[in-house]
Amino acid sequence: MIEGWENMSWSQKQEAFLTKWASGEGIPFVSDEANAAYRYRAGLIKDAVTLKKTPERVPIVPVAVFAPISLYACSPKQAMYDPHVLGKVCLDYTRDYDPDATVIPPMVMHGPVLEVLDYTLYKWPGRGIRDEQGYQFVEKEYMKAEDYDHFIADPTDYWLRVWLPRTHGALKGFAQMPPLYASVELAMVAPWLCALGAPPVQESLKALTEAGRISFEWIQALGPYMGQMLASGYPMLAGAATKAPFDTLGDSFRGTTGLMMDMYRRPDKVLQAVERLVPLMISMGVGGAVANNNPIVFIPLHKGADGFMSNEQFKKFYWPTLKKVIVGLAENGCMPCCFVEGAYNQRLEFLTELPDGMCAFIFDRTDMGRAREVLGGKSCIGGGFPVSLIITGSAGEVEEETKKLLDVAAGDGGYVLSIGCAMDEAREHTLKAFIQAGKKYGRY
Amino acid sequence: MQDLVNAVVEMMEDEAMALTKKYVAKGVPPVQIIDAYKEALRIIGKRFEECTYFVPELVLAGEMMKAATELIRPMMTESASNLGTPRIGKLLLGTVEGDIHDIGKDMVHMLMDINGFEVLDLGVDVPAQRFWEEYTKFQPEIIGMSGLLTLAFESMKQVVDLLKDRGARDNVKVIIGGGQMDEQACKYVGADAFATDVVAGVNICKGWVGQLHDGTT
Repeated sequence: MIEGWENMSWSQKQEAFLTKWASGEGIPFVSDEANAAYRYRAGLIKDAVTLKKTPERVPIVPVAVFAPISLYACSPKQAMYDPHVLGKVCLDYTRDYDPDATVIPPMVMHGPVLEVLDYTLYKWPGRGIRDEQGYQFVEKEYMKAEDYDHFIADPTDYWLRVWLPRTHGALKGFAQMPPLYASVELAMVAPWLCALGAPPVQESLKALTEAGRISFEWIQALGPYMGQMLASGYPMLAGAATKAPFDTLGDSFRGTTGLMMDMYRRPDKVLQAVERLVPLMISMGVGGAVANNNPIVFIPLHKGADGFMSNEQFKKFYWPTLKKVIVGLAENGCMPCCFVEGAYNQRLEFLTELPDGMCAFIFDRTDMGRAREVLGGKSCIGGGFPVSLIITGSAGEVEEETKKLLDVAAGDGGYVLSIGCAMDEAREHTLKAFIQAGKKYGRY
Repeated sequence: MQDLVNAVVEMMEDEAMALTKKYVAKGVPPVQIIDAYKEALRIIGKRFEECTYFVPELVLAGEMMKAATELIRPMMTESASNLGTPRIGKLLLGTVEGDIHDIGKDMVHMLMDINGFEVLDLGVDVPAQRFWEEYTKFQPEIIGMSGLLTLAFESMKQVVDLLKDRGARDNVKVIIGGGQMDEQACKYVGADAFATDVVAGVNICKGWVGQLHDGTT
């Protein structure tokens, strides 16, 4: 995709991909001003994350999922069931609030698709959640302890024939599918294909086809709004998302309790399973980044935070495979950006093991002074602003706190002003005060 | 039975169970086995406070207690079958209205139980009125409200407001817990304390009942 790509180092690839993204190449901007504004905004982010040059001011990137919806008096249910409501609200939010990178509308997802699939990993407005609230995760032991060997031997086969049927009611039939390896020889192919014709498998295949059809229609309706967001001069805050292998295994497969017990009961299996997930998590991030022409790959971090485990356990079970995912993303030219939920006060030293400028870290409740002390000049840091103040504080308090945060955290040039969590709600006067304060006090 | 105490404390699950079975077979009185577990829990509790033990140890300690209880309970008279430490206070617990997350709440439940609290867990998505009704029946020293989402601020505030309206606010301590709880949220809700990790929350509660008990005895 980029000339000379194969012979570049990770750092050159990252630089090249970020430069391409920040140039706005291929975006049909509505005006020259929009084009210039896009390059300015993306340039601020590029400078901050790579640490190569101090940007003119700190980039301001509030991360949000449902917050724009509530700011425009729409309900999450409306947004999840009508792509035009979702698209319009995100476009209005982008123009009115004027952040340096804006929200990613598809993160809100489409309710009808989840219904067709009978998706059980989350509840959402319309399915177990009130209309005014966003979706919520339902953590369970979807993978049993005795399933480790299957998972480790062939995660994709496990995913398709065991995990999908357990987490998607309409895909139960996939449990009756034989493994697809039989397709390798004509004389062996019959049992595999015949099984696909069994009524439960057929029903599941139909459901999946239908889910794909609805999703395609949805993204075609939503796409033009996203196109307008870009064309108006606003980059999106990420091109893709992926996860730390330990979190993938813990959040969606074994559950917190299951995985925490596994650390004592079957530590070797845990280590093999997270190792197995490394290439999958890398390709998930790279694939999305390339498809969306945006090198920033978000990695929300969950179960490695302070309080979840000891540093020794973090060092053994969590960090090595997260580090491999980060390095793997960078080697493909992506800019990994860990969204560090909870606090990482006990973990900061681990993060210094990465090469300088390889990865950015947006913090939630980590002490930002210490984060800067440990990571300043090595990795871009960001976040640290409490969402509680956005929701319950005054505009004056928010301005004051933003100024304080910038004084503490922004001095090295590698800082992104952000709120510590992906907001599901916000208040107009405080969020605007936050963004304005960033522009006022964030100049270098 | 120091070997049993050590096995439980050091998270050697299989060995702890094997030793428990061995002592049962030898005819050691169940109450002595229970004392060994109590001693182990005391040390485990201390390690939580010192931040050398975390969630994995909490979960596994809970599992070991459960397995031991199941083994020993049939041999016990009903009055002596409580494996936990003597009850030091009551906690009314729940995830507030609108929020269905339960992992944090369940950990609080487990650790508070291990630390000697009688816990009444109302589950998730608990409306303010239900907190009030259960409060009047259960009469806890502490109400613990959990929430992962920011919408929980408002739901938590409703519970505290209800306590105020009914003139009960001064009779009970209120603690809120969850990823986005902080001083600001605590003030807004009108709670007495907040916690973002289980151990901190449990230590606050232990402090309270210590104070409460000192004050009333």
